[in-house]
Amino acid sequence: MRKLKKVALAATCAAVLGTTSVVNAANWLMLQGTEPADAAPRAKVWGFIQAKYEKNNSDPNAGGAYVPPKLVGPALTSQETFAINRARIGVRGTGMPLDGKVNYFFLAEFGNNGITQPGNNFVKVTDASITMNHIPGARIRVGLFKTPMSEEVYQGIAIFDYVNFTNFANQQLIERAPNDTYTSNVGAQTLPVGTSLNTFTKSVSAARDTGVQIFDTFKSGAWEHGYSVMIGNGNGLNMNDNDDNQDTYLYWSSEKVFSGKGPRRKGMKFYAWSQTGKRLLDNTNDATHNPKEYDRKRSGIGMKYLSKKYRFTFEYTKADGMIWLGPHTPTFDMNPNAPVGNGENGEASAWQVDFGWYIPGTKWELDARYDVYNRLENDTVFPGGANAGKGFETEWTTLTLGVQYHLNKKSRVTVNYAFRDVEAVDFGSGAGPNANLDGIDDIFAVQVTHIF
Amino acid sequence: MKSKIIKAIALLTLALSPFFYGNAIAADKSLADAKVVLQISDANPFKQTLVLNVAGNLVKAYGQDLVDIEIVAFGPGLRLLFADNANKGRISALAGSGVKFSACENTTRNMGKKLGHPPALNSKAVKVSAGVVRIVDLVKQGYILVKP
Repeated sequence: MRKLKKVALAATCAAVLGTTSVVNAANWLMLQGTEPADAAPRAKVWGFIQAKYEKNNSDPNAGGAYVPPKLVGPALTSQETFAINRARIGVRGTGMPLDGKVNYFFLAEFGNNGITQPGNNFVKVTDASITMNHIPGARIRVGLFKTPMSEEVYQGIAIFDYVNFTNFANQQLIERAPNDTYTSNVGAQTLPVGTSLNTFTKSVSAARDTGVQIFDTFKSGAWEHGYSVMIGNGNGLNMNDNDDNQDTYLYWSSEKVFSGKGPRRKGMKFYAWSQTGKRLLDNTNDATHNPKEYDRKRSGIGMKYLSKKYRFTFEYTKADGMIWLGPHTPTFDMNPNAPVGNGENGEASAWQVDFGWYIPGTKWELDARYDVYNRLENDTVFPGGANAGKGFETEWTTLTLGVQYHLNKKSRVTVNYAFRDVEAVDFGSGAGPNANLDGIDDIFAVQVTHIF
Repeated sequence: MKSKIIKAIALLTLALSPFFYGNAIAADKSLADAKVVLQISDANPFKQTLVLNVAGNLVKAYGQDLVDIEIVAFGPGLRLLFADNANKGRISALAGSGVKFSACENTTRNMGKKLGHPPALNSKAVKVSAGVVRIVDLVKQGYILVKP
């Protein structure tokens, strides 16, 4: 009888403690693209919901009008809103469990954001991929999925430690696909907004593309190295190609693994990545469909250290070509009639540091992130006139302070306060672009995340 | 003289008999306090983790010399003993602690028909003709059946 009790106790303990399911190798290449070998279900339903409240404290320009950074996206009609930031549901697994060498990943977005808002889509497929794991060292993934890049964007967004992306990630990595035909810029708007400030007609890329990827991960002692080479349409979530050019995506990561597994594995990771491709843009206001090709390059390096109780990340990123200037400037030019403010061939760079402290013995986490983004670096300058020698380079600086309370491993409340400063560096207060950039102020946001 | 030799042989045999007898016992009966057969026949991969956790907890609770554990896999649960299974590291560690793993040959054969080839099994797995029969046999030998 005593034996039976002991056995029952062991079984109960295992049932309670064993709720962590088998996790595949803990890096984003593997977590998103593969399943645990011979231990994956036929169909695991999963997803997450993020409900938020956001208040933008920016002031209007001298005429009482607002530009997009002063409003809450994606609608850009208000400075204060409750919203379903993300609501995603997906299925993943292996269609034939006996053959663990093939797996799939499917995910759809129901939330209100740049993925669904253009065109008022009720739902949009964000991921639909198949991975074949037959060749040692060269797994093959095909379909629509996240492209390896900056850790901030590439990580599973449900565990992202802030409500909003850094300025660079938001503007240059969550890519906006140009409209098929010329669309005029929209000036600052008074509230309630008469003309929509969001003039893009297609979903943001959401850092995804349709294509084929070869990748794998290798262990070497305490280190884990991963690589990825991918070719895709370069057309985001649109699942087809709109030109004859493909994007090339390269990625490498090396991580010293301390302990644990899964998305919050403890370790120190270093990574580098690049994307190169071309985009079609019709930015000539001549009522003729005459798009031109422009180069688009993005690259970066970074590191992440996570060993609770501390987290530290650093990233440096660069952008060359197709510099997005806002949802109200679909031409990618601040002013199509001026030689300056040219985003099609512009350059940008950014860096960020992030620090997290998981207060021991509590469910509280404190976060702080500082990001600096230089847009239109070395922009063409006005050749003459009152603005001679000046360009439209703008510097975006944000300090975000955050508090997170983890209700449990799958649920948390995130409170952020972002101190923002934006200025056109060649112009004084109230002059040039600063007429609209002055007044961009802090953002307060609260978000509840629940993963299921 | 002849009777002395016979007597000596008889005494020698008698003297040595406990060693032979003792070895025979050791072969047939272990000294374990507990004997547990763990069944895995479920398709749910979570059960793979669970059954290995249970085995690990039993080893921890009793000590590896005082518990006999055999994990019998059949039906969809046989995937646990596939050669590339994500848990192969844990299986190897448990085997090192004396846990035995049995793979149902009937299931292996049927899976082979679906796959077009027999599945490669973990080297720690011992094939048994039928998983359920192995469980019945072990229960008859005094094992407690647990199906996590």
